Amino acid sequence: MLPAAAALIPFGLVCGVDAAAVGASPLAALGLSAIVFSGSAMILATQLYGVGAPLAVIVLTCFVIGLRLAMYSAAMAPHLGGFPARWRYLSAFLLTDQAFAATIAGFERSADKERALSHFIGGGIVLWVGWQLMTMAGYFLGNVIPAAWSLEFAVPLCFIALLGPLLREKPAIAAAVSAAIAVVVLAGLPMRLNIVVAGVIGIATGTLAELLLERKASAQEDVR
Amino acid sequence: MTDAGIKLWAIIFAVGAANFLVRLSFIELLANKRMPPLLIRSLRYVAIAMLTALVVPMVLATPGAPAIMTLWPNAKPFAALIALVVAFFTRSMGWTLATGMGALWLLQAATT
Repeated sequence: MLPAAAALIPFGLVCGVDAAAVGASPLAALGLSAIVFSGSAMILATQLYGVGAPLAVIVLTCFVIGLRLAMYSAAMAPHLGGFPARWRYLSAFLLTDQAFAATIAGFERSADKERALSHFIGGGIVLWVGWQLMTMAGYFLGNVIPAAWSLEFAVPLCFIALLGPLLREKPAIAAAVSAAIAVVVLAGLPMRLNIVVAGVIGIATGTLAELLLERKASAQEDVR
Repeated sequence: MTDAGIKLWAIIFAVGAANFLVRLSFIELLANKRMPPLLIRSLRYVAIAMLTALVVPMVLATPGAPAIMTLWPNAKPFAALIALVVAFFTRSMGWTLATGMGALWLLQAATT
């Protein structure tokens, strides 16, 4: 989880810089980053607020951008069944792209769900605290990292580091390739809906590929 | 507090609540239910499909115009491909970050 937190430094700074640019008070900037706890929603909300968009438009746009979190929520659900409600609520609050991506493999592999959950919650709290420090640094100090360093590229690199090792079987590759094609083809959709739709297409393709391969394998066994 | 300040706090609580409910949605709906086997299988592809759908636009998007995607002149797709190969073989976050950033800096230096 620590590399994920480090990769978020430039993103957090930008979120803080943006909040200052639209004239948010320090407390409101902190409220945005601490309560919403989502970089993409924070950037969108501040920019739409800056151009004077109505409240309903801002909330709806941020809701649509957050829909991918519903898919993470579904993937976490089977692993959180045995835990008390307060842990499930805390997990939901700490559920981000980074925390999900870094820990879901652990939940799936390990029988010790308690250990996987403590890894998720511990890492999630580290991310939350680090995120507040970064947005506040951005708010008060501005963008202290030169743009030429392209440090924002560390965010996709973190996701690539988590994605690469998962691409070992044919259905997994089918899921990734179909999602990649879909997200580019659908890039014209409003409110970045292409990301959620491409995710659903990738999940469906991977599942279908798994079923087809299984059917083919059992058909071959029947012949023998 | 000014009207603008009140509006900003309304945004904070409304967006915060909406985001939290989305995150909580399926955890609460499904946590203690028996799920159909096909659904459980499909959940294994959530991470793969979503990571890909998030990464591809970040790598291809033109700065300032995220809907326009380009392969060239853009050093990021090539650096990302190198990082993907490194991630596949090493399974290491450190090596992936190091080679990905290194490749990006080299390619940027070579093309400017």
